[in-house]
Amino acid sequence: MTKIIAIAWKDLRSTARNVPALVMMLLAPLALAALLGFAFGGGGGFDIAATKVTVANEDEGSPSSIVTAGCVVAGILESPDLKDVLEVTRKSSAEAARTAVDDGKAAVAVIIPADFSAVVYGGGTTARTQVELYENPTQEVGGSIVEGVVGQALLEFNGARAAAAGAVALSGGDREAALAAAKAAEQFTRSGGVTAGLQISQRPPQLPGDKSAQDISITGSILAGMMVFFMFFGAANVARTILDEDRAGTLPRLFTTPTSYGAILGGKFTSVFVTVTIQAVVLLVAGRLIFGIEWGRMDAVVLLTLVAAGVSSGLALLVISLTRTPAQAGAIGAGVYLVLALAGGNFTGTAQAGGAFGIVQKFTPNGWLLQGWDTTMRGGGSGDIRWQLLVPLGFAVAFFFFAVLRIRRRFA
Amino acid sequence: MSIVEVKELRKQYDPPKGVLAVDGVSFDIAEGEIFSLLGPNGAGKSTTISMLSCLLKPTDGDAMIAGNSIVHQSLAVKETIGVVPQDIALYPDMSARENLLFWGRMYGLSGDALKKRVDEVLELVMLVDRQKDRVEKFSGGMKRRVNIGVALLHKPRVLYLDEPTVGIDPQSRRSILDGILALRDQGMTILYTTHYMAEAQELSDRIAIVDHGKMIANGTHEELVKIVGEEARVEARVDRDLAGVAERWREVEGVVKVDREEDDVVLLARDPNEVLPRLFESAAAAGVRITEINVTEPNLEMVFLHLTGRALRD
Repeated sequence: MTKIIAIAWKDLRSTARNVPALVMMLLAPLALAALLGFAFGGGGGFDIAATKVTVANEDEGSPSSIVTAGCVVAGILESPDLKDVLEVTRKSSAEAARTAVDDGKAAVAVIIPADFSAVVYGGGTTARTQVELYENPTQEVGGSIVEGVVGQALLEFNGARAAAAGAVALSGGDREAALAAAKAAEQFTRSGGVTAGLQISQRPPQLPGDKSAQDISITGSILAGMMVFFMFFGAANVARTILDEDRAGTLPRLFTTPTSYGAILGGKFTSVFVTVTIQAVVLLVAGRLIFGIEWGRMDAVVLLTLVAAGVSSGLALLVISLTRTPAQAGAIGAGVYLVLALAGGNFTGTAQAGGAFGIVQKFTPNGWLLQGWDTTMRGGGSGDIRWQLLVPLGFAVAFFFFAVLRIRRRFA
Repeated sequence: MSIVEVKELRKQYDPPKGVLAVDGVSFDIAEGEIFSLLGPNGAGKSTTISMLSCLLKPTDGDAMIAGNSIVHQSLAVKETIGVVPQDIALYPDMSARENLLFWGRMYGLSGDALKKRVDEVLELVMLVDRQKDRVEKFSGGMKRRVNIGVALLHKPRVLYLDEPTVGIDPQSRRSILDGILALRDQGMTILYTTHYMAEAQELSDRIAIVDHGKMIANGTHEELVKIVGEEARVEARVDRDLAGVAERWREVEGVVKVDREEDDVVLLARDPNEVLPRLFESAAAAGVRITEINVTEPNLEMVFLHLTGRALRD
């Protein structure tokens, strides 16, 4: 045991002196998580920053209408349901609304034409008019939301117009019947029929069957993915010392001392395992302190961290056992880790994927680990992630078993 | 009494068609003896050392080190031996002291005993002043000394030194050779490999000459040189009448054999100290002037040349 600790301690000290490796193990995942997290709207959840919209309602109304159709559209944009995604201000003219976009004060200008009500309520089936959306092309997300809301409103209007036109046609030229149909269409519009299909709801990923699950921080989700991914590289970096030492002659020299193969391999595995565990702990603590990430219940966090360290260590040793030189291990290892990360979903955060991607994810230890982190961050305990612990643990044991077989055969 | 008994040791890589690196080597080393394996690069010296260190499994044969088999009792063998590999096998980012402490733990030392022994070894390799410096900052000779120090930490009964003086300056080489002789005087048994004839000659109680994986001769220096006879080789160049001089020297007392090789007269002489003045007198009497003369005492180089047809340095 003393020899295992001595070998592990020697490797840990060597890693601690390796500044480039530390940067890759600790700073890179934090930096990437921060960048991606802020790109998706910060660390506080899945909220998207409200899009600034300016509305110029030039609708002059129609003789028969009480409320103009332009007011209905503007009202929809200003509805409480949309206040988290749209920040609407009114402008007195189309020119003023466009200027607000040009000056960067708004992302989208909605310009409702003067004849809008006239066309909607009384223009007949052939009448045409256009609501203008004046957009800043770089604000794609905000523009799409406004386009969707306005487009939906116009669809509803068109539906009402079509119904009224149909009623008029069926009346056979009866003026009173035609008037009644037009009134009914306007009534439908004003009574809220138009807004019926416009409710927008945010739906964060939900655990199956768990309606009370907490929302999770997007930065936390991304950092969990980056942490597991960079743990692969952290483990590889330490495990590669086996090949480095083989080339430098210190590994053969170790084998000439009265130290068993088991102790030498045990020492190496311990150093890899401890290194990636420390790496994970540093990232978890940094995530909590810098981004305020709620990682979840301690029991689940500890178990997930240890299993992730086991998987990374086992995989790194397996890659080492299959390669001859440090350069080979670097190249092949990087390929293996990237493929696993892509298949397991490390670059898409912890959100559970569906379809074929979800199936592929099940074949990777990191995919299971990420599901475990997702559940834990939503408040799940170790009992809720039984399979997300056991399956990766099985992978870790298998990796380690084959690695030890290969390494023993090679150095025996 | 033999502490090392090597019996028909054989190593073939990737049998049956792979390279036969060691082919049936056998020798014994008595306790407290320096035994050298002398041979050119690729002769099989390092492979032999690797097998005796339990690093490589022999294809055939066995060796007993202090009564333990390298095949069946490798852990016991490893406790008995100290190995100084040909290349520096140290951790360059660790200091000399840290290296010695680490390797000491690998040899089963711990606590105060380890610290005390590290202090002793640092003195032995004359690096007390530089013990806290990283090995990567050391000169080649200093690294070699730490490399040897590591193998001495557990006071092994048998020390293997695999070409420990390769690539170092003469002063460091001298220091290492003196150190080895001092270890022998303390009773340590030493197995030394080298391709430097002078080192083998100076250090060894007995020498085995190896070539192409086979041991071609084994004995003391004196025993080995007898293989080529006791005559010294004399090569002389004269200013004229090469044929006449060669004939005259054939009659000189102590000269065993005379040949002509291009512009030289080459002869074998029993005692060059006595024969050389006679050669000069004979040449002067014939009015011939000797312009150049070389004398080579019988040595291991000549033995190797005699046995293999090649020079040791080839």
